[in-house]
This record gives sequence, C-alpha cells and structure tokens, in this order.
Amino acid sequence: MAEIVFDKVGKAFGDVKVIENLDLTIEDGKFTVLVGSSGCGKTTLLRMIAGIGPATSGHIYMDGKDITHQPPEKRDIAMVFQNYAIYPTMSVRENIEFGLKNKKVPKDERDRRIAEYAEIVGMTPYLDRKPSDLSGGQRQRIALARAMVKKPSVFLMDEPLSNLDAKLRAAMRVELIELQRRLGTTFVYVTHDQIEAMSMADTIVLMEKGKIQQIGSPEEIYHQPANVFSAQFIGTPPMNILELGDGIRYGVRPESIRMSPQRMDNMVLYRKGHVITREMLGAELQYKVRLSNGITIMVRSENERDDVEEDTDVWVMAPARHIHFFDADGKRLGHGGPQNLLDRLGGMNE
Amino acid sequence: MTSITSLEREQQREARRIKHRSWVTSYLMILPAMAFLVAFVIYPTISMAHMSLYYGNAKNPYKKWMALGNYSMRDDFWVALRNTAAYTGMALVLVMILSILFAQWMYKSRKLNNVAQTLFFTPHLVAGVSAGFIWSWLMSSQPYGLFNTVFNALGLPSVRWLDSTSTAMFSIVLMNTWKSVGYYCLIIMSAMKSIPTEIYESAKLDGSPAWKTFFKITIPMISPQLFFLLITITTGSFKVFDSVRIMTNGGPGDATRVLSMYIYDYAFQRNNTLGYACAAGIIMMAIMVLVTVFDFAFVEKKVHYQ
Repeated sequence: MAEIVFDKVGKAFGDVKVIENLDLTIEDGKFTVLVGSSGCGKTTLLRMIAGIGPATSGHIYMDGKDITHQPPEKRDIAMVFQNYAIYPTMSVRENIEFGLKNKKVPKDERDRRIAEYAEIVGMTPYLDRKPSDLSGGQRQRIALARAMVKKPSVFLMDEPLSNLDAKLRAAMRVELIELQRRLGTTFVYVTHDQIEAMSMADTIVLMEKGKIQQIGSPEEIYHQPANVFSAQFIGTPPMNILELGDGIRYGVRPESIRMSPQRMDNMVLYRKGHVITREMLGAELQYKVRLSNGITIMVRSENERDDVEEDTDVWVMAPARHIHFFDADGKRLGHGGPQNLLDRLGGMNE
Repeated sequence: MTSITSLEREQQREARRIKHRSWVTSYLMILPAMAFLVAFVIYPTISMAHMSLYYGNAKNPYKKWMALGNYSMRDDFWVALRNTAAYTGMALVLVMILSILFAQWMYKSRKLNNVAQTLFFTPHLVAGVSAGFIWSWLMSSQPYGLFNTVFNALGLPSVRWLDSTSTAMFSIVLMNTWKSVGYYCLIIMSAMKSIPTEIYESAKLDGSPAWKTFFKITIPMISPQLFFLLITITTGSFKVFDSVRIMTNGGPGDATRVLSMYIYDYAFQRNNTLGYACAAGIIMMAIMVLVTVFDFAFVEKKVHYQ
C-alpha cells in the first residue's frame, strides 16, 4: 500500500527539459494509468518512481517518505517492462526467484511464493523452461510473476501489453484488472493506448509534452474533457472540433451525432451534410460527412436504423448535452457559459 | 491440347535451366575460396602426412620409407609441447580476463573511452615481427631497455624479462596479450552493448549487487563471444611462432621453444629430419583438433545462445 506524491518535479536530459514543475498525487490502492502520445513524459515519470531515472529537480514522496534519491532496490516497488526484460539465461523459476534471493528470503519461503505466483499467472508447468522456449504472452506472465512475488507496495508497468497480439492483449487487460482488485496494491500503468487507459484505470492521468492535461476517472475524461487535447485524445475517431467564431470552438463526439435524411426534434445542432464514405465495422457504422461549409466530420452509429447510404444528403444533428465548448486556449467552458453559446450555435443552424 | 502440353514441357525445361544455372553460379562463387583451401591447406596437409612416413630433407623428402618410425617422439618434443601448453594457458587466461575487464570498463560511452578503444586496438594492426622487435628493445637488459630504466628510476630492481628461463615465456605472453587484447576486447564490448539496458534496470530493481549482475547476467549473456574467444585464442596460441622467433628464438636454453619453432627447426635447420618434423606437425594438428572437439563437446553446453 502506498501513495506517491510528486512535488514540483522536473527532469532534464542534458539541456532538454522533458518535465518541469510537475505536481501529481497517485492514490493508494488505485489503478492509475499514465497515458499520452510517445515522448509526453509518461515513461519518464514511471522511471522516476522506480528510481532508474531520477528526477533532476523537486521531490518524490512515497507514503510521506522522500524517496527522490533512494536507490531502486530500497523502494518497495516492482516494475514490468515493455520488452519484459526477462533474464534470458535463467529458467522461469530462476527469473522469479532472483529478486527474492537478493532480498535474502529463506529457501522454503521462496519456494512457497514461487509456487503461489506461478499458479496465479498459470506458468507452473513451465517453471524449469528457458524463456527462449516461451511465447510472448508467457514471457509477459513471467515478468508479472517476477514482479508480484516481491509483494511490492507499488506495481509499475511500462506498456506491458504492447508487444502482444490484439486478442491476447484484450485477455491480459482483464486479467490485470482482476489482479489489481485481488491484490489491492497501487498500480501505475503507462500506455499510449487510450482504450487500455479507459478500460483499466480508476484514475487516468493524461499527459502531453511533459504537462498533465487532465486527471480524472475514465467517465470524467470522456464526458467532461478539460480541454481540446483531452477531448480529441480519448475516443475513436476523435471528437469533431468546429469553429463557432471569436476563437470559440465547439466539439461533438462522432458517436453523439445523429444523422438522418429527416430533420429530428429536440436537437440543438442542425447542419446539412453529404455522406462521403460509409464503413461497416461490425457492430458499428462509421461515416465521413462533408458539411455544407466544406468541413468534413466523422460520425459513428451503433444503430442500424440510422444507417444511410454513401453519397446521400442528410441532416447532421446533436442534442445540447453532447455539445462541448472550448475557449481560445482550448480550455473547456464549464456550466454557466454554454447557454448563450448554445443560442449562438442555434443561430447558425440550417 | 498438344500445344498446352508442349508449353508445360517448355516451362519445366526453363525451370530446370534456371535451377541449373543458379547451381553453377553458387559453385563458381565459392570456387576461388575452395581453390585456395585445396592448394594451401588440404593438399599440404595430405602431403605432410605422406612425408611424415619417410626419411628425408626438403630437397628430397622421400629418401627412405619409415612407416610410423617418425612418430616415436624425441624427448625435446615433450619440452616443446609443455612450453606450448604453458604459453597457451597463460595467454588464454590473461587475454580473456583482460578483454572482459577492459570491455566492462570501456562499455560506457565516454570521450576517454573512445580514445582508449583506439589505443587498445592499434597494437593489433602492428605486424607481429615489428611488435616482437619493439618489445625486445623495451625488455632489453641493455642500458636502452625502457622497462628496466623505468623500474630503476622508480627504485624497483631490474627484471631479466627475456633473459631468464623463469620469465622469458611470460614476457612473450605479455607482448602478445598487449597485441591482441584490443581486438578481443572490441568483440566482448559489442556483445555487452547488445544486452538490453532494461535487463540491467530490472536487475537493479531486483536488488542485485553489481558483482552478481556481472556474473549472473553479463557473463552468461556474452558466453557465445567468450566461447569464440576460447576457440580462437587456444588455436592461435598453439601456433605462436613469429614473436618467439624474434624475441628469444626459443631460448634461453629451451625455455621458450614452442611446437611451431620445434617443427620449423627440424624441418629446415637440420639434416634429414623433415619426415620427423612432419610427424610432429601432424601430432600438433591432432592435439588442436582434440582440444577444439573437447571445447565444443563440453564447454559449449554452458554457452547461452539467444
């Protein structure tokens, strides 16, 4: 169990400042996901917690104790690397045992724990194999067992699923969630994949260019994005962002748009559009639509009744609760502001 | 119908032609190498084995049939073999340990290390004979001997280097180590650099002390290269000749007379002992084959291939 606090933390590689003045609290016992595009600083943060890439300024606290300059082995953490970092010359058992031996855990206790965690990750039959004989998914499990067997207060995971195929990734995602619930340990998980972030996190920390863009539950991030970046990062395809004038922009998620040849009631946004492409994605349909002012937007629909043909004229509509407004800096305009903006939007209707 | 069959037949013929042509090309490409191998390795080996059965000299190797008579080795052969084994043992241990240590040291990319790498590697480019001459001077007990001059200046006693039976062999090992360690060090270093940094980070997180990381992770992971060093240093040292010839010419006494010098002596410096020299050469070759087979049979099991 551990809470991690970043206090005005900075990290520079030579002259390049990757992170500056960053404050963040990672809650005890929660599944926190650091998400962002590559180079946003998420892995740098994780490595700071691990102690393998120390902060160049500021302090990091773990349960109130300053660990900024503490060596990694004294931190009571375990990490799973993107490429698993399995010791290739050791058997599965030796891999799991290595950290325990270094911690001078007695032999019978080691054997007991290895048996326990090998069972949890389903690697018991492979304990005496070499990693080179195993598949990517199995190596991933060794890495997990190796981390868990140390019974750390904090689990750090750096894109642990990105080397797995799509099917296995989805399965492991569920297993990791279960694991976290069972262990009740603080998980800090780094990914660039918004779907992983949404599906696994209790708290998402969305980062860009070394700055935190938004911290919140998946629901908050999805329904109340703090800014344009946040709004467009989460969701596939990203939120449509359109100009309202005076630097003000409004956004509608592709899945919140209704589209029909007939004009429907109780909507706020009404635009005329022309369907350019229609993609059948199984349960969903996805359209590219050109509005009468020449701008193209994406529309997604799970409702086959709403299906429209390619190359047809339609009404593009959205209800008030699905429309987000952003100011000139890209910040989302909270409640109170929107009514006059909604009126302005209505004024532009066709 | 017939036209299709003839077309098919034509296609088959074409495929055969292409296959045949690529077969010819492949063999043509390895022909030069094969020709050299036959002319300078296989033919001399066979003819050496043949000559080892006769009494004769370089002008007339086949004076008298000896059968296996040449294979009863004289006493001095065992001295030469022992010297060679001693040389090989010392060279192997010294070069291996130093290459690993220097590689570990130069592994981090610092400016100093780039300079050091070049300095270590340069001796490898120097001709063996020149290196032998230079080191003879350095180790000389004459007033111009640099090592002793430095030793004396530091208040240390002179060392007899190449002039004493107890130090001469080691002095030659030292020279050849200086000459080859940079090359082997480079091989070890590139192997070390191919180990992913995450593995070291993971070891750190696992609380592994530096020495343990070195012996449990680094050494096993560079074992293929270490095995390569074992084979090349062993076989290379077994054949050592030029440095010995230049620096001591086998002396003092017989202290540095190694097998290749022994064979050279009997083949070209004495009368009618060519057959005997050939027999010694065959035995030397057999020993090298045995050692290599042993390495592959027993040592290679410990090697971890990716």
